[in-house]
Formats: sequence, structure tokens, C-alpha cells
Amino acid sequence: MQSFDIGKITKNKGFSAFTAALLAIFLGLVFGFIIMLAASPENSIPGFQMVLLGGLERLGDVFYFATPILMTGLAVGFAFKMGLFNIGASGQYTMGMYFALYVGFMWDLPAGLRWIACVIAGMLGGLLWGLIPGIFKALLNVNEVITSIMFNYIGMYLVDMLIQSNARMFVTTMNRTAYLPDAAKLPGLGIPNSSVNVSIIIAMAIAIILYIVLNKTTFGYELKATGYNKHASTYAGMNGKRNVILTMAIAGAMAGFGGAFAILAPSAISGSSMTYEPINVIAVNGFNGIAVALLGNSSPIGIIFSALFVSYIQRGGTLASLFGFKPEIIDVVIAVIIYFSAFAMFMNSVVVKLFKKRSKKEEV
Amino acid sequence: MDTLYYLIQNTLPVAIPLLLVALGGMFSERSGVINIALEGIMLFGAFFGCLFVYFIKGIPIDVQIILLLAMAVAAVSGLLYSMLLSFAAVNMKADQTITGTALNMLIPAAILLFAKMFFNSDGITTDVNFYIKKVPGLGDIPVLGNLFFQNTYITVYIGILFLIIATVIFYKTKFGLRLRSCGEHPHAADSVGINVYVMRHAGVGISGILGGIGGFFYAVGIMNSNINGHTGVAGFGFLALAVMIFGQWKPLKILLASLFFAFLRTLAYSISLIPFLEALDINQTYYKMLPYLATMVVLAFTSKKSRAPKAEGIPYDMSAR
Amino acid sequence: MEDYIIEMLHITKEFPGIIANDDITLKLKKGEIHALLGENGAGKSTLMSVLFGLYQAEKGEIRKNGNVVKINNPNDANDLGIGMVHQHFKLVEIFTVLENIILGVEPNKMGFLQRKKAREKIIKLSEQYGLKVDPDALIENISVGMQQRVEILKMLYRENEILIFDEPTAVLTPQEIDELMEIMRGFAREGKSILFITHKLNEIIAVADRCTVLRKGRLIGTVDIKDTTREELSRMMVGRDVLLKVDKKDAKPGNVVLSVRNITVPSKTHKNNAVKNVTFNVRAGEIVCLAGIDGNGQSEFIQALTGLERTSSGSISLCGRDITKAPIRSRSKAGMSHIPEDRQKHGLILDYSLEQNLVLQRYWQPEFQSHGFIKNREVRDYAEKLIEQYDVRSGQGPVTTVRSMSGGNQQKAILAREIDKEHELLIAVQPTRGLDVGAIEYIHKQLVARRDAGKAVLLMSLELEEVMNVSDRILVMYEGEIVGEFDPKAVTVQELGLYMSGAKRQMAKEIEHAVV
Repeated sequence: MQSFDIGKITKNKGFSAFTAALLAIFLGLVFGFIIMLAASPENSIPGFQMVLLGGLERLGDVFYFATPILMTGLAVGFAFKMGLFNIGASGQYTMGMYFALYVGFMWDLPAGLRWIACVIAGMLGGLLWGLIPGIFKALLNVNEVITSIMFNYIGMYLVDMLIQSNARMFVTTMNRTAYLPDAAKLPGLGIPNSSVNVSIIIAMAIAIILYIVLNKTTFGYELKATGYNKHASTYAGMNGKRNVILTMAIAGAMAGFGGAFAILAPSAISGSSMTYEPINVIAVNGFNGIAVALLGNSSPIGIIFSALFVSYIQRGGTLASLFGFKPEIIDVVIAVIIYFSAFAMFMNSVVVKLFKKRSKKEEV
Repeated sequence: MDTLYYLIQNTLPVAIPLLLVALGGMFSERSGVINIALEGIMLFGAFFGCLFVYFIKGIPIDVQIILLLAMAVAAVSGLLYSMLLSFAAVNMKADQTITGTALNMLIPAAILLFAKMFFNSDGITTDVNFYIKKVPGLGDIPVLGNLFFQNTYITVYIGILFLIIATVIFYKTKFGLRLRSCGEHPHAADSVGINVYVMRHAGVGISGILGGIGGFFYAVGIMNSNINGHTGVAGFGFLALAVMIFGQWKPLKILLASLFFAFLRTLAYSISLIPFLEALDINQTYYKMLPYLATMVVLAFTSKKSRAPKAEGIPYDMSAR
Repeated sequence: MEDYIIEMLHITKEFPGIIANDDITLKLKKGEIHALLGENGAGKSTLMSVLFGLYQAEKGEIRKNGNVVKINNPNDANDLGIGMVHQHFKLVEIFTVLENIILGVEPNKMGFLQRKKAREKIIKLSEQYGLKVDPDALIENISVGMQQRVEILKMLYRENEILIFDEPTAVLTPQEIDELMEIMRGFAREGKSILFITHKLNEIIAVADRCTVLRKGRLIGTVDIKDTTREELSRMMVGRDVLLKVDKKDAKPGNVVLSVRNITVPSKTHKNNAVKNVTFNVRAGEIVCLAGIDGNGQSEFIQALTGLERTSSGSISLCGRDITKAPIRSRSKAGMSHIPEDRQKHGLILDYSLEQNLVLQRYWQPEFQSHGFIKNREVRDYAEKLIEQYDVRSGQGPVTTVRSMSGGNQQKAILAREIDKEHELLIAVQPTRGLDVGAIEYIHKQLVARRDAGKAVLLMSLELEEVMNVSDRILVMYEGEIVGEFDPKAVTVQELGLYMSGAKRQMAKEIEHAVV
């Protein structure tokens, strides 16, 4: 009888990952509240309320801003499944933006095709920037974490330089890129007071495709096998080098999509698009992807929800400025959530291990 | 010759933060904990060091004394911040890379938050100059004086002193022997009664101290004692990790590696002074990428034979021995 | 009242879900060599870990010289004069011999190491006990036998008087084993007390005064060696008479299936080659056993044969196809099945379910996938068939996470997978390591059944008993070379031992017919 109960619990790995994520979120929010309390005691309660509930007032924006981090979350989570830590989503994302911008400004394509070509170009840019650490890892045995970090910087400097030196893209007086032509922008969904656009739907579809790839295909089988046990996957004749390169390339492509979706989106100012500001700063959305992936337990479906959640509290954080708080409060909260999810997983594994040792006794 | 003097004089203040932080990384990793949080630790130390300078700068004391006091503040803050990593990595058996990433993300955001709320800026601007035009006496020695005792910072000498102390502790003391055993074979250390947890806390703690100081020295030598949340320490913590790997986790090789990287960076920012490079008319950004590209090239060539501490990154579980 | 230096009384140690030691009492006399006998998993190592302070017992007490003592960690054990040579040496590879010996008890002045002082003491000890070592050599550069001497010196340096040896002979040649026995007797003569963990009966008869036997975590009894026999000890250990002989008919070797020619494999740990110029054949319908002491190149040879490592020269052909440079998948397709040495590292993906593991070698075949999509229905049916056929026991059948299964059932799963896959050659590397007697018998039967089905079987084993019982032909490997070929019916274990230790070797001509 007992073994039946254990079976239920160990089977429900997803459920315990969910509780672990909730715990991390809870601790992160508590920490955020403490900081608000320290910064401005009298405003802390309404400010914190705004963080928690403000997103409800801007549901369109929640979806709008969830799209890029959903993609970078997939970029990190997909690589995680193979045991690779893709901290380079940032650089891949930036490359995605650049490629999308380049096609948007420089190629004159028919209206219906133009934004699609931009999105695909962005994907390719990210793919390229994910491919490099993959090759370094597979062929030269260089740790992907170091490579990705270095390529975050290289990518950022490179893109800033390329944009600054392109007169068609860059408006020197504003120190920003110009607005994209209309045909290059993502079609909106027509929701009033919101720039939410078709990219959220594409992003969710991609997440579902990745879910299928991971769980239903031989490639997904090999990828997860390699993530769990590299030696056994070699023993079974899987082509580890090819899979590492492929996985990093796909991960990079995800972040590239994210960059394209972010930069091609229509902005709040009517008739305009988002712009890129080359100020030698690494894109924070790449790092937010780490939080999204961890909270979503690296599962593509989980990542959809965690991206929406992170976007939701970000909106709340922005609105908290009404009470004098700065939106960076949410970046702090996200960092704290990542910190705690690193051991929420440990606490989980202790529990699971305990049950598994129990069930070991059951058989024989 | 003047160009060479200029390059050396400018290389050293850049090399020292790299050296100290990489030495810190060495202590941490050879005790068995991967410390990717060095970037955040540096920034944390730099922030509190600069904050201290900001508050004390009105008081009439010698500027070099202020620097030493601020260095102590940075060391303590680095130590405290690193304890977040060692707690997670050692006690909670957390993934060290993820924890480190979280700590790296936390600090820039926190600095921006506080600086915006209290200083209405992105960071702390002290504009205190710790620059030493010429060291009395030593600065007059021909060549050597030019190279090492003119247009410099006291941080250079402190850095060298720390290198010597760190090397001695690492190789000549009981503590160093024990620490190194924990990064290679924690079970062996445990079986002879060494407390692996304590040694790993110590290793990370030392990396916190050196990282905090390194961060402050970065602010002093490179940023004119200012710091902000946007640029932070510009990836120096990560470069220090690369320096550590290039230096094979050994103090003297780390010194050479940090000089190499610092020289590249100095070169990149001094293009306009070097007629030959200036004449090439290459976009400056290429040179800015140089240290990062060099890191990749170096790693590509060294990684096959590099020998990381065997047990690094693997949490040690005393109950599962 | 007898004079006991250590008494472990009613020790009970539980791990989640398993009672490793159940009310065990062990009393050690001063100056005796006391063997602790039991199968894998009987609880010997756990009991010694309790004595050494690595684990704390839930129940029971430990006394030294009649006084109750608390041993919370290895430091406490050391303070009580208890030292241990662990089965897997606890040596830091990049440290010198000297640094390893002093680690934890470093002579120092204000924290600074006093290497000179340490060196003098080590040299004195090594001369006194005839344990020759070079204090400045790095551990990674010295032989296993030398490493064991370092472990023993660690105990002597700490002036321990109660010495625990955990399976010390597994890695030694017969000659080194004799030396070790002599050293142990010397310690006992000096009044040191020795606890000697083993599952090898010969060694107990040769050296021990008394023996305590454990089985499945329980105490079976303590006997005087002079009053007992091998057979009785063996019965106590496994709980019944062991079927020593595997029941099998004579082999009928057919065509050559595997042909290995002049294979050389470079070593990863030192500059010499790990495998040197190895040549032999394996035919259909025979079991060829690669015997030798651990670390003589067998593992490297198998890795090269199966494609996990590269050869530097020579050729391998399987069923007439050259596979010297073929990737692992092609070898598998060509008819190679491989039961790997380390089942958890190579053989299984512990976090995958049993069914996912059962198709690990076949998931890419059209039977289990189409257009890159895995056919879950077929995988499930196939897994259920294998589970039934090979009696693989698990909590939840095909969906059980393999990590939660017992070692024996994990091995059965690998066996089922590798046997059921189409193959002409079955390579089995230490297939019975760490298993209990029932599982060992089952695996031996399966190997013989493969042979009788006309397959070629290459077995690598470190257990001489297994080598003698299962194989049709024995090849002995010493320092990377094949030094002898034998018919198990025409050779004794002693004779094999001489070849395994390099004391004797056959001329190349005599081995030649191995190739025929």
C-alpha cells in the first residue's frame, strides 16, 4: 500500500518543482518587501500592493513584455535539459535584435513578408551566437559558461558598433536607432491601450513545439539522456558533439527570436517601434531568462507560465514608481528568486531522495 | 620609450584588480566552490568602498589613508557578500553557477535602486583622486622608477604584497594544504578529520575579501573612484575567472596572466597614443572586444590540458560519506 | 574476563529504507588479526565506518578498553588510536606522498608547515616497517601498491594502534598480497590490533586469528579460525551451500566472430601504453575470459574495443567487418553488445524510466521510431516483454525510475537489453560486481546460454573463481600484454596467479594458437 503512495509522489516530480518555485517566489517577494520597507517605510505597503496587483491593470502589457523573456527562458531552459548552462542568452538576444533590425531597415521586401523575414533573421542571429559556444564546448572542450559570458560582451560591443556605424539605422542626435518601417513591425492584436502583438502567440506555439521535441522525439530523448548522464549517452552511441552544437544552436535561436520579438514590436507611442540604444550595456532580458527557466523547471510549458508571472510582477514594479520606488526593485526581487530557487531544488531533491530510498526497500 | 612607460604605468593599475580577484577565485575554486559571483562581489566591494570615500572625503586626512580605510571597508563587504554564496553552495548544496549568477544580477539592480532613490543618479560619484605622481625617492631611479614608481597608485604595491601573502598561505601553511585538499578530494580531507565545510567557507570568504578589494581597486584605478550600476565592473570579474583558468589555478601563473590581459586592455584604450595602431584606423570597438576575444583564443588553446580542481562545483555531503 | 581493546556492542545503523547493521556485536582483542567477512552489501563497511566515526549508530555503544567512548568523527577515532585504510584510497592525487601522510595532523609552527620534521619521521617509519616510499613523489605517479603503503604509513604516522583494512587486497597482485599479510602479522606481533574486511576466504585462513561473519546486515557469528574450515565460513557468509561449479557442457567453437590484431592503446594517466600489441580471436559458441589484476590494461582494452576510447595502432574486426575506427553506434549495428564495467556511469540513465533504459540501444530503430518520433506504445510493449522474460523487478514496472531499483535488478535490465538486442558478440565486463549470490548465478547462467545459442562471449573479470567457472578459454593480461592462454580445466588458480602477477609468461609462439 505504501509503495503506491510513494509512486504517486515521485511521479509528481512536476508538482514538487512547482511548490519549490512558489517557495522561491515567496522568499523573493518577502525580500523585496523588506527592501521597500527599508527604503521608504510609509510607502512600503501601498507600493508592495502595487507590485503584487498592479499587473492586473495592464494585462495587455503583461503579455507584451512576457514575450521576450519567454523566449530567453526557453533559450536557457532548453540548454539546461542537456546539462548546459546557457548564460549567453543575453548576447544571443542582442544579436537577434541586430539581425532583425538589419533586415528591417536594409531589405525592401513585400509588406506581408517583411516582418516575417525580420523575425527569421533575428532567429538566425541568435542561432549563430549560440552555435559558437556550442562549437567551443563540443570540439575544444571549453566550458560553455565562460564562452557564453565572453560572447555576451563581444556581441554587445559588436552590435553597438555596427549600429552606430550604419547611417540608415542610427539617429546620431538621439543616440538611438530610427523607427522601423511599418511593414517590418509585428502585427498588433488590436487590443486597446496595449501594444500586445502576434509575437506572444508565436512564442507560445514555439514553446509547445519545443515541448513536443523534448518529450516525443528521438532527438529529445538523446538530449535529455545526455543531460542526465553524458557517459551513458556516449556508451549508447549518441553523437554527443553534434547534440551539444545542435542544442546550443537551438537555444541561441530561441533567444534570437526573443530579441527580434522585442525590437520589432510596436511601441506605446503610436506609429513607432521599439528602438535600440547602443550604450555598452548587456541586455538584461537574457539574464531574466535564467529566472524564467528556473521557475519553470526548464519545461517549455512551465516557462510559458513563469514568463507571464515575471512579466506580471515587472509591470507591478513599474507602477510602484507612483509611490517613489524604482522599477529596479523587481530586478532585485528576480535575482533573489533565482538565488532561492537554486536551493529550493536542493530541498526538493532531499525530499525526493528520501522517498526513493524508501521505495528501494520495497522491491527485491 | 615614453609610450612604453605610459603603457606599463597604465597596465599595472588594471592588472592589480584582475590579479587580486583571480587569486580570490583561486582560493574559492581550490577549496571546491566555483565562484562565478566574483563580478558581483567586486561590484559590492567597489560600491561600499566608494560609499565610504564619499562620506569621508570632507574630513582632512591623507588621501592614501582614506584609500586604505576604504579598502578595509571593501574587504569586509566583499566577505559578507561572499557568505551568501558559501551558505548556498556549502550548506544548501545549491548549484554554484546559478547561485553565482543570481548574486551577479542582484548587485547592479540594488545599486541602481538605492543610488536612484538616495543620490538621484546611477551610482556613486566621489571624484577623489588617489593618483600618485611620483613616489618620493624611488621615483627618481632611472627606468625602474619610470616604470613602477611614477604616475601610479598605491594599489599596485598593496596588490603585490597580497600576492606574496596569498602565495605563502597557499603553499607554506597547514591551512593552505588543507584548503587545497578540499578542492581535490574532499572525502580524503574528511577522512583525516578536516572539516570540509569550514574550509570551503574559508575559501569562498577569502575570495570575498580579495574580490571586494579588487573591486574597489578597479574603481580607484580605472573609474576615478566612481561606480555605477549600469557598467558595474565591466565584466572584470568574469575576466578574472578567465585569468585564473589561464593561470592554471596557481598564484604566479595568475600574475603573468593578469599582466597579459591588463596589457591588452590598456593597449585597446590607448590606440590614439600609438601611432602605428592609430594609422590602421580600425574602429575602437574592435579593441574593446580584444580582452574578451583573447580570452576565447587562450581558452581554446589551453582548455584541453587545463586541470581544474577535481572536486570543484560538486557540493560535499557529509551525511553521504 | 577477556581483554578486549575495542567492543562494538549491539550496533544498529539505519539508512532511509534499509537497516545496514542490525544489532551487531564485535569484540576485538589486543594484538589479534580479526577478519570481518561478508558478501557485498552485508554491512561490513558500514560497521567499520561507524567505528571510524564516519557514521553514527542509532543504537548500541562502543567501548575501548572497557570504557564507553563516543566517536563522532574521524578525529575522535584518531584520538582513540583507530586508523583505517579505505577500500578506495583517500589520497589527494596532486599532493606528494609526504603531504598526504601529514594531511590533518600537520607538524607546524604558527601554522607554517614543518616539512623537514615530517620527512624525518616518515623515513624512520618506512625503514622500521619496510614500507618503501618516496616522500616527494606525487600520488598520481606511483603504483597502486605504493599508494596502499602510503595509506598504511598514514596510520603509523598517527601512531594508531587499532588498524582497519577495508578490502585491501582487491587491487594487489598475489605477491603484493603476501607482502601485505606479512606486514599485518608484524603489526600484530607488535601488539597492534587489526580489523581486516574481506570476502576472500583464503586470505582469512592465511592470516586471521578470528573471524566475524555478517550477512544482510545481521551478525551470523564469530569463530576461531583454527576451529573452522573454508566451507563453514562460506556457508556462514552466504547462508547455504554455494554452487561452486556453473553447470555447462563443453564448448563447440565455430567461426571467428571477433578478431583483434596488434591493438595498442595509449594510457590516459601515464606516458606508457595501457594496452600493448594485443592479438586474439573469439569464436562463436565460446566464452573467452580476459583475466588479470585490476589496472593491467583490461579496462582500457575493453574501452578501445567498444569504441569509448581510441586505439593508436592495430585493427579490430567483427564478423569480418573492420571496426577499428568505427563509431560506437556502428559497432552496435555490426553485432556488438556491451555490458559495461560501471553500470551506473555507462550502462544506465538513472533518472530515466526502466522502459526508456531498455530501449537505450534501440530507440533509433524503425521498430521504435518513425520520422524522429518515438513510438511510445511499442516501447511500452517491448519493455513489458523484457521485464517479464528476464524477471526484472521494480516498484512500478516500465515507468519506474531506474535510480530507485536495486543493483541486481539494474544489472538485469542491462543484461536483458544487451542480450535481446541483435548481436553476435557479447562483451561482459565484471558483470557480477557488487551483486549477491543469487544474481551472480543468474548472470552466469545467462552468459552460458548465450554461448550455447552460438554467440561469442568475451568476459572480463577480476574474480578468479568466476574466471575458472564460466570461461572456456582464459587470456591473462599483465601490464597491457597478453602473457598467457589457458584451458580452465587444465590450469590451477595458483598457476594463473603467477601469470597475473608477471612472475611467469608464455612465449609468443605458445599464445599464437589463440589467433587460429
